[in-house]
Amino acid sequence: MASRVSLKAGKGKVVRKSAAADEEEGSVAAAGKFVKEWSTWAMKKAKVVTHYGFIPLVIIIGMNSDPKPSLSQLLSPV
Amino acid sequence: MAALVPPSPAAPAAAASSSDAEQPKVDYLNLPCPIPYEEIHREALMSLKPELFEGLRFDFTKGLNQKFSLSHSVMMGPTEIPAQSAETIKIPTANYEFGANFIDPKLMLFGRVMTDGRLNARLKCDLTDNLTLKGNAQLTNEPHMSHGMFNFDYKGSDYRTQFQVGNGALLGASYIQSVTRNLSLGGEVFWAGQHRKSGIGYAARYNTDKMVASGQVASTGMVALSYVQKVSDKVSLATDLMYNYMSGDVTSSVGYDYILRQCRLRGKIDSNGSVSAFLEERLNMGLNFLLSAEIDHRKKDYKFGFGLTVGE
Repeated sequence: MASRVSLKAGKGKVVRKSAAADEEEGSVAAAGKFVKEWSTWAMKKAKVVTHYGFIPLVIIIGMNSDPKPSLSQLLSPV
Repeated sequence: MAALVPPSPAAPAAAASSSDAEQPKVDYLNLPCPIPYEEIHREALMSLKPELFEGLRFDFTKGLNQKFSLSHSVMMGPTEIPAQSAETIKIPTANYEFGANFIDPKLMLFGRVMTDGRLNARLKCDLTDNLTLKGNAQLTNEPHMSHGMFNFDYKGSDYRTQFQVGNGALLGASYIQSVTRNLSLGGEVFWAGQHRKSGIGYAARYNTDKMVASGQVASTGMVALSYVQKVSDKVSLATDLMYNYMSGDVTSSVGYDYILRQCRLRGKIDSNGSVSAFLEERLNMGLNFLLSAEIDHRKKDYKFGFGLTVGE
């Protein structure tokens, strides 16, 4: 890591600067990881919602279109 | 159609009378909209690649409404599973698939779910006159086996562009432009994040009333050329060539497509030694009988299927 390889004379300043840089890098990486984790969580939930809800959604949209079909037409096999 | 560009105001009358005898001058500012990029081989695909199947297939479509319909499908037959050895391994399976479709000029929803929980969903929505959103997903219960893709299509006066986003960090874009009345050229780029691959491809399509010739090259090594000739109203002949310049395999096929009043018969012969045919016969209004046959002489794999489709 950069902070270890530094001249003894300016060690204090360099350590502070690299610590700040590390912190900044750390926060950017943490923000990136946060976004990735949240987007993965969102995609997983979206996949479950789509998997269970797509066909019911199509049926609801279809049953509400004109002319409105009746429930018996939906369930009867003829 | 292309409008005449008269050289002077007095000329149009004379030009109009002679246009029947000769081809009208091309108006490059008024070209027709081209075919979407992914359908560039559409005629060849329709004639040479029917949905061949093995076993029994029964489809029942019940329309509840002009726009809404439900479908029930039963399929019984051997299914191939990929095997390490050269032999194909087939396992008999039977499944039932329930589907719901909603078709509106502005919104189309298509869903099919099988007994093992696999969902196949398609969506097409016209956001504005020229911008269309299309989505496509195959979802399964097994983890990491689901795929989804969204496309945004923009249609201009003589060009089309498309932007695709898919799972596994798949991004793609394509553009196709009408260059003359008969010729359109297009290109595409894609980037697959998961496999760290990217590629670029070009396509060209030339069509007249009687024939369609199309070609496509991609940096993944694929070269695909096809030619379809409409011999008459009822008969079309088609041929295609697929060549992979990275791996060196070549496949070529020749086929015919007879569209008759009561039936549609498509047959083809392949350079891999396989012969196939597909017949759809209309027995009555809303009742179709299907026969499918695929004989692969090289692998000695014989597949025959029959089926019935009830409903529009």
